[in-house]
Amino acid sequence: MTKENILKEGLLEQYVLGELNESQKQIIEQLRTSDTQIAAQLNAIELNFEKIGFDNAITPPFSVKTNILEKVSESNKNKTNNYRMWLSIAASFAAFFLLGSIWLYSELNTVKEELKIVGDKNDTLLKDLEGLTENYNETSAWYAALSNPDTEQYILKGNALSPEAKIVSFVNHENKSVIINTEKLPQLDKDHDYQMWADVDGEMINMGVIAKEKKLMAMNYIDNAKSLNITIEPVGGNDHPTVERLISNVYLD
Amino acid sequence: MDEQIDTFGKSLTLMQDNALLIKQLQAKDERALSLLYDYYSGALYSVILKMIRDEGIAQDLLQETFITIWGKSHQYSADKGRFYTWAYRIAKNKVLNFIRKRDILIQKEDLSVYKIEDEPVKFDVEFTKLKGAINQLEEHHQKAIELVYFNGLTHREAHEEMKVPLGTYKSYIQQALKKLKANYGSAVTLLFMMLK
Repeated sequence: MTKENILKEGLLEQYVLGELNESQKQIIEQLRTSDTQIAAQLNAIELNFEKIGFDNAITPPFSVKTNILEKVSESNKNKTNNYRMWLSIAASFAAFFLLGSIWLYSELNTVKEELKIVGDKNDTLLKDLEGLTENYNETSAWYAALSNPDTEQYILKGNALSPEAKIVSFVNHENKSVIINTEKLPQLDKDHDYQMWADVDGEMINMGVIAKEKKLMAMNYIDNAKSLNITIEPVGGNDHPTVERLISNVYLD
Repeated sequence: MDEQIDTFGKSLTLMQDNALLIKQLQAKDERALSLLYDYYSGALYSVILKMIRDEGIAQDLLQETFITIWGKSHQYSADKGRFYTWAYRIAKNKVLNFIRKRDILIQKEDLSVYKIEDEPVKFDVEFTKLKGAINQLEEHHQKAIELVYFNGLTHREAHEEMKVPLGTYKSYIQQALKKLKANYGSAVTLLFMMLK
């Protein structure tokens, strides 16, 4: 399609009247931007047709305009309504998510609290378990010591100073251990403690202070002890026994 | 002549305003549609009326044309031609589509849809009379323009209607347009200079 052809064939007029097919239309539209002569021709044709149109104008009845404007404003309103509808849907979703978030947040806090409680309980249980294990180990050790066939049992009975006192001592000369049961030792005031001594050739040697809260406890084993003795001493123990306050003794054979 | 220049002077100002109005139309401004309707509806109604020759249908089609102009305004671009040309093509297609559908219905002998006997076709022959500069053309030139422009015929259909060869028919149109340009005269040239 040469330019000469286009002008001769009246394609420009057909273009303006909308008679051309899509590919021809595109060629003319392209030429319009690139070729000033074609553009001027097209402008002239369009102006002519427009002028003919306006020369022959017939005023339509006013109702047509009213109808058009009504329809258009209706469709515009629908769009606004649609917009409002979507907006309200979006708003409800936002509210829903907000409430959901608040609920989830409170749930999260509750769960956190519960988790903390469970954690604390777990800690307590672990401590209990530790205590129990310790107790068990201790008890096992005591039991092992007490049930050892080499262990000899000596009972120290209270004298006139402390008639109700009774101490059971377990002495093992093989592995050199002394364990005492203080269950039946009367309570002392807070300024005094019981202390245990071993008599070696007439000399009293310290075996240790008896702890107030323990029922079973190990004391120092002293070689060649002839007897075991218990005195009442100032709190924390003494370097030498206060013989006047001896409450019990037992001879070892 | 004075009157013609006046008309063009007025058209020119309106035309410049139209660029703004068209922008507003594309932004879905109902006021712009109303003003553009005032400006173009007469010319478009005339084209539709001359093609369909029934006032009631013509008014419906004019309405549909402007609804389409409103709905598809974003498709219009000033680079591709004048707004009137774009609107004219929409109007013409509305009429041709209507006629096509009606012909299919007539073939199926279902006339009831379009021909309600209580409402006879209302059409004033006065409407077919051409006005303005086109009347200064020779009759065959006038006829050639009328057939394609107002009757919605293609060049091919029009040359058969006029019983002249297609080439002859095309040259009728071109000569007619040349003469019109001469008739509209300096005002059109002036308009070009101002447009450029």
